[in-house]
Amino acid sequence: MRQGMHWWRFVAIAGIAAAVLTVVAAPATAQVKIRFQTWHWNEKPWVNSLEEFQKTFNQANPGIEVVRDDSRYGDKEAVFTTQSQAKAAADIPHFSYRPIRHFADRGYLLDLSPFIEKEGGQKYLAQWDPQALEICKYKGKIYCLPDDLNPLVLMYNTQHFKEAGLDPAKPPATWDQFLDYGRKLTRAGRYGVGILGARQEGVFMRFNPWLWGAGGDYLTPDEKRSALDTPEALEGFKFYVELFTKHKVVPPGVIEQGAQEVRTQLAHEKVSMIITLPAAPGIVQAINPNMKVREVMALAPVPVGKKKVTSAWFSLRVISAFTKNPEAAWKVYKAWYDKDSQMRNFKIAGVLSSRLDVRNAPEVKADKYAQVFSAQTPYVKLEPLVPEWPKIGDAMLTAIQEGLTGVKTPEAALKGAHEATNRALGVQ
Amino acid sequence: MPAGRTWHDRHLGILFVLPATLLLVAVLIFPAFITLKLSVTPEGGSGWTLTLIHYQKAFRDPVLLQTFKNTFAFVALSLVGHFVLGLALAIALNQALPGQTFFRLLALIPWTIPDVVAGIIFRWLLNPIHGALNPLVRMVFPGFPAEFQWLSSPTLAFPSVIFANVWRGYPLVMVMLLAGLMAIPRELYEAAEVDGAGRVRRFVHVTLPGLRMIILIALALDMVWEFRRFALVLTMTGGGPGTLTEVLSTLVYKSYFQFFTFEYASAMAILMSVVLFILSLPYIILVGRER
Repeated sequence: MRQGMHWWRFVAIAGIAAAVLTVVAAPATAQVKIRFQTWHWNEKPWVNSLEEFQKTFNQANPGIEVVRDDSRYGDKEAVFTTQSQAKAAADIPHFSYRPIRHFADRGYLLDLSPFIEKEGGQKYLAQWDPQALEICKYKGKIYCLPDDLNPLVLMYNTQHFKEAGLDPAKPPATWDQFLDYGRKLTRAGRYGVGILGARQEGVFMRFNPWLWGAGGDYLTPDEKRSALDTPEALEGFKFYVELFTKHKVVPPGVIEQGAQEVRTQLAHEKVSMIITLPAAPGIVQAINPNMKVREVMALAPVPVGKKKVTSAWFSLRVISAFTKNPEAAWKVYKAWYDKDSQMRNFKIAGVLSSRLDVRNAPEVKADKYAQVFSAQTPYVKLEPLVPEWPKIGDAMLTAIQEGLTGVKTPEAALKGAHEATNRALGVQ
Repeated sequence: MPAGRTWHDRHLGILFVLPATLLLVAVLIFPAFITLKLSVTPEGGSGWTLTLIHYQKAFRDPVLLQTFKNTFAFVALSLVGHFVLGLALAIALNQALPGQTFFRLLALIPWTIPDVVAGIIFRWLLNPIHGALNPLVRMVFPGFPAEFQWLSSPTLAFPSVIFANVWRGYPLVMVMLLAGLMAIPRELYEAAEVDGAGRVRRFVHVTLPGLRMIILIALALDMVWEFRRFALVLTMTGGGPGTLTEVLSTLVYKSYFQFFTFEYASAMAILMSVVLFILSLPYIILVGRER
């Protein structure tokens, strides 16, 4: 009995000591939570890179905790707008380059200039691609740092090429060849080309190379009027929609196909060629783990029409003007943009950074896919950064859908977009 | 005022309704006021400089006009579908059949499915490549095209969305009509039968008059709800092809969140609310009369 009492005392003292030690030895509770918002939190392979960043940062910075904040690609701007109106936006949201100036005008974005000055000003900024950086500068302020500026290229299934008697080492280089290959690759249950027709901004990236490649454009050089009434614009527009309506090299249901649906079609061998971005090989692999993507899929520049040009996926992160912890948010922001994080993002997700030291790193230059993407960087063109772009873009999406479904002829559909663009620009 | 009532008695009711009133002001009146103010604010403006320019623009906007037409067609056809299907099922489920409770629950399932989920389900069902509908139709009609396009067809996209909406929304009408049917005294049917009335005459002269008020209320409520239908259309077609399935709620959403024309979107929302109020007047009058 006496011995038993000693035993219980020992257990009790040991328990208390263990509890005290646990409390003392445990890392201090994070004081500040920084909401890191992106639609990639639920997407492989990006989520792996994000989680690695989150883990690494939180371990190294006990006073700050990076917490995930999910957005959806389709309504990320809507979510941010609503949250900003309520002054409760995520500290660090993620967008494409298109809405940045709208948000800056609305006062939703924090001017990063003071932080950048502290980091060394121009010397600090010199680490990024100057063309990409320009997008972040607006009315004398800097609202972002460029994240991934990724040219779009042609991705194709080499096995399908072989089956169709085409040489995988000689991908289509011109529009005529592209159409010819598309026809040859189209056979029972499989289509030569996957294109987008759904109402989403991803359409522009895949449509623009054809519009611009024909020598057309959305706006006149002074950006005051629509340029969609030119024969060149019509040529590019017709080429895109007629891949489906006339040449039948695109699967049915095209206006239901967004970027992910088309990548899924490629992953499941329903289509043979798509226009895509650097993360695509990783995504296709995630969709179809049984496919040996790096062996089967090859990349090539977008086929050339009258002009050699391509579009780009260009995303960037900002800091909300309503963040309660600007210093901590900047610390997280800066960490995301440092060389290690950006290199990790390339290794895991295949994303090409706008940081010059990452883009020029030997392992990036040696990567067979990154080589193709990097080589297209000089030919990148972006959509006009006019405030009316959302309306112009919507008019163009309407025209693309009308052209693809035969609601209107390509001429009438593009004319509608031309008139809507001029209306949006206030042209009488 | 009855004698003996104290100040406490007279004002206690106010205290009870106060929380609900405050909540209503916070989530309804205040946002409505902000929207109204925004609708008369110049684009990008602030303060109390007011303008009617957005309303002038709205009355000349061909897209808005087309969208109003689409919305009226969407509401009218959905209502017809809800009523026909709801009434047919209500009559069937009012019969003394084995498994009656089970079938009543089964018929309610579409009502429990959120709009977004219903939209995704139908998008998948109607997909020309991976969808389930085409293979099913081909089982019955082997010559039917294997990759038939429903939502990508300019002529079938709108009917497809309405079909999905009829499926999604009929249970509400059905439940109300079923409750009405159950309240019609059986003696009325027996008397009509004794008088030699057949099934059709009993339906016309007993059932329909017995359901008259409930039909009016159900359709008035349904009309208001269908006018605001948003997520189903957005997830199924996003308003496409082109603008063929665009409805007012999706257009207001786009104008606000995609075009960032907050003021114009607010003006459209106010116009939509006015129309909605006019449409809901029959219901308000009916409820007033009942009291």
